[in-house]
Amino acid sequence: MKRSYLGEFEEIVLLTVAVMEGGAYGVAITHEISEQTGRAVRLNQVHAALERLEDKGMLKSEMGEPTAERGGRRKRLFTVTAYGRRTLQEIQEVRVSFWARLLNPFKPATSL
Amino acid sequence: MQPPQLADQLLSFFCSPHRLEEIQGDLHEEFAFQVKRMGERRARLRYWREVLGFVLSSASKKRSKKESTTHRTNPIMFRNHVKIAWRNLTKDRQFTALNLVGLSTGLACTLLIYLWVKDELRMDTYNEKDEQLFQVMANHFHEDDVNTINHTPGLLADALAAEMPEVEHAVTVVPASWFSSKGIISVGETRLKSGGQFVGKDYFNVFTCPFLQGDQNSLFSDNHTVALSEEVAIKLFGTTKDVLGKAVKWDHEEFSGTYRVGGIFANSPANSTEPFDLLFSFNVFFVRRPGMENWGNSDPSTFLVLREGTDLDRFNAKIRNYLQTKDKTKTQLFAIRYSDKYLHGQFENGKPVGGRITYVKLFSVIAVFILLIACINFMNLSTAKASGRIKEVGIKKVVGALRSSLVFQYLGESLLMAFLSLIIAVFLLILLLPQFNLITGKHISLEFDGTLLLAIVGITALTGLIAGSYPALYLSGFNPTAVLKGKLKTSVGELLVRKGLVVFQFTVSILFIVSVLVVYRQIEYIQTKNLGYNRENIIHFEIPLEMDSVKLKSAEGFLAEIKTIPGVVNASSYYHNLTGDHGAISGFQWPGKPPGKDIEFSNLEVGYNFIETLGMELKEGRGFSNNPGSYNEIIFNEAAIKSMGLKDPIGKTVKFWDRERQIVGVVRNFNFESLYETVKPCFFQVYPVMPNIMVKMQGGTEQQTIARIQKVFEAHHQGLVFDYQFLDENYQALYAAERQIGVLSRYFAGLTILISCLGLFGLAAFTAQRRQKEIGIRKVVGATVGNVAVMLSMDFLKLLLIALVIAFPVIGWVLQQWLHNFAYHVDLELGVFIIAGLSITVITLLTVSYQAIKAALMNPVKSLRNE
Repeated sequence: MKRSYLGEFEEIVLLTVAVMEGGAYGVAITHEISEQTGRAVRLNQVHAALERLEDKGMLKSEMGEPTAERGGRRKRLFTVTAYGRRTLQEIQEVRVSFWARLLNPFKPATSL
Repeated sequence: MQPPQLADQLLSFFCSPHRLEEIQGDLHEEFAFQVKRMGERRARLRYWREVLGFVLSSASKKRSKKESTTHRTNPIMFRNHVKIAWRNLTKDRQFTALNLVGLSTGLACTLLIYLWVKDELRMDTYNEKDEQLFQVMANHFHEDDVNTINHTPGLLADALAAEMPEVEHAVTVVPASWFSSKGIISVGETRLKSGGQFVGKDYFNVFTCPFLQGDQNSLFSDNHTVALSEEVAIKLFGTTKDVLGKAVKWDHEEFSGTYRVGGIFANSPANSTEPFDLLFSFNVFFVRRPGMENWGNSDPSTFLVLREGTDLDRFNAKIRNYLQTKDKTKTQLFAIRYSDKYLHGQFENGKPVGGRITYVKLFSVIAVFILLIACINFMNLSTAKASGRIKEVGIKKVVGALRSSLVFQYLGESLLMAFLSLIIAVFLLILLLPQFNLITGKHISLEFDGTLLLAIVGITALTGLIAGSYPALYLSGFNPTAVLKGKLKTSVGELLVRKGLVVFQFTVSILFIVSVLVVYRQIEYIQTKNLGYNRENIIHFEIPLEMDSVKLKSAEGFLAEIKTIPGVVNASSYYHNLTGDHGAISGFQWPGKPPGKDIEFSNLEVGYNFIETLGMELKEGRGFSNNPGSYNEIIFNEAAIKSMGLKDPIGKTVKFWDRERQIVGVVRNFNFESLYETVKPCFFQVYPVMPNIMVKMQGGTEQQTIARIQKVFEAHHQGLVFDYQFLDENYQALYAAERQIGVLSRYFAGLTILISCLGLFGLAAFTAQRRQKEIGIRKVVGATVGNVAVMLSMDFLKLLLIALVIAFPVIGWVLQQWLHNFAYHVDLELGVFIIAGLSITVITLLTVSYQAIKAALMNPVKSLRNE
């Protein structure tokens, strides 16, 4: 595979940015991830991941509007690039093909 | 509601500027959210954690390529700072060396003193019950004086334990130091000099003395058991195992005999003031010296463990007149913390007046002054040097340096210097410590504990910061155009501060010089003072002596034989120690004694010819008749006669211990204790021979005479080691503390002056350099070398004069106080001040004039050539 390797956390961050469609910035992404996954995520981890993704060219960013609760500071809004979208798709395809080959699909446990 | 400001500042310092806005914005938004969710306190905590996360992670540090390269943490600029710092240090090597040597010597001295002080404070604190451990002291009342000693009746401990509910444990101890010399313990051919301590039953409940082998209580099972220290056991038997029950021979005064080893204890700790090698039961002492069963006889020490929460003042009030319930005496008792006694063990008129703590405080003050001087030097030199770098500051600012980056550079540079000196100081310390231990007789090792480390790093950092703050904060604030045009003038304030610091240095140096001179004179005086007896060419040694008639006869024969040895002038014997402790006896009856009056007399038990051998002067009457008839004779000193109020004492009879004795003579007062004390009443009683032999020899042939005495000694006492001491050495040992202080203060004063001189030297060089042009012009218009040199030196001499005016009254007062500690002391003479003043002037002139003359000799063409 020629594309850059994506860590599990990076993948989640990238997906979250994609889901949030233009409204994605540090705090919002952090909250979204902890709501969806139930993990304790910290801001600096998210920022680090965002920065790495931007370096890899999977994300692009621009400065947004300032708000009062940020003390008049602007937010950096992230969107997924075409390359980022393709990467996500490829990962998804690899996974789907593996799932399809599973002879005994896991059944949800109904009783113990 | 605002997030923590400090955290914000931290972030903005570390975070790269182009990311700061979004990160801080996110953090603030998150903070507002968390405050609603979990409350302000926890939100703030969380904020801190987040900020630290950002600071530590790399996310915030990546910088955009558009960012300015003058940012402070840029590695390229950092390399440049290091390079500039290095060039500056090597450009003027002499200056750098002066600065480093000064600060590192100062730091090393301070560290040394710190270690010494810490060691002093740790003395005698090794006992588990240290908090509750007290020693009973006794105030003996004399005519016009109270004498405080640590000897108490041997019966006191048990009586106090039985009658005072506050006393948890009480023990009687006769420490090894009570005896004038050590004894000899032997197994087969192995012999060791050892100190034996006698202890009562409760000893192990009072003092911490862990047993490695055997049972502590076995010591008290009979009167023939001894416990050995680990060291002694290993030296005697080569092992500490299977030693229990073995027999050892002990030769020491009347306690000589064969003992069974009952246990092995851990060696006395190094911070014990009363170390001992052997432990005996106090019963052994009691049996051999039945006089102990008398309340009027004070010899052993008494130690108490008081119950927790006991009020010492109230307890002291209770025991003050305790002895009066047992005996007719005026002696009063009080208790002091045992571990306090080492530093606060001096009493005057029954009141504590300090003790070694004076020296501890003195040296702490010296340490602070040395450090101050060293730091001042460092600052003075660094700031002087920095003012020459003003053009560098200007250029840097012109090419776009931020002020913050200048601050960072200069502070860093001076911190670097300061810590470099600290490293040198630690090496110096490691080199000096063995020598220092030799002088002080301590076993100090370099242990870095948290406080020390923090303190020393803190002090170094502070020195570096203050020294660096002048160029960093002051110079960096100027307008670069003004700086580059050279319009900057040194401000009056700056000059005043520098001059003030120099005056301070001078003052401290003068204080040190004067004190060293006076302390030295006082010690000299003590060592040469006429004591009322002649202590030259006298050796003393011990013979084993038991109180049976056969042994006594042989001892008398031995003494008689010694007197026939050529080179021996006279020989005698005595029991107690001439320069040490004496038992005190009360309950005398004398003719015309007022009812209710009682006097404590020091008891000197001596052999025939004692007064003659020491060359003591008789005021009236005669010496002992030196035959069995002298059993009923007694001799007093002048002080005793005076306090008894006896007129025509010769021939009168006094009574004590139920025996009548006739006064045959009165000796002139002589100093039998240290010169701290005035002469106390004392009396002599005479016996044919005592265990300490004293021989007066002819001067010049001492070595041969000693060899002959040794032969006679070995013939009489087979298997014993002839171990002698000179009397004047013992006397010097009395002033060991003073001599140590003398030696140490001389070294430290020397160093202080040296450090000050380094500073002066540097400053003089700096002034001369700054006034190069002025000197050039002066020379061109006709000034001679002499004129210029005098002009430059005068500046410093003026400062010196101010320092002299400040220092003399201060030091005069302080020294007056110190000298009053001694009953006999030198007077504070004007001469001392003159010597000190002259020497500091000469030192200053030598230091400064070198630079002044160098500057004056410069060819004016060279100094005026370029502008």
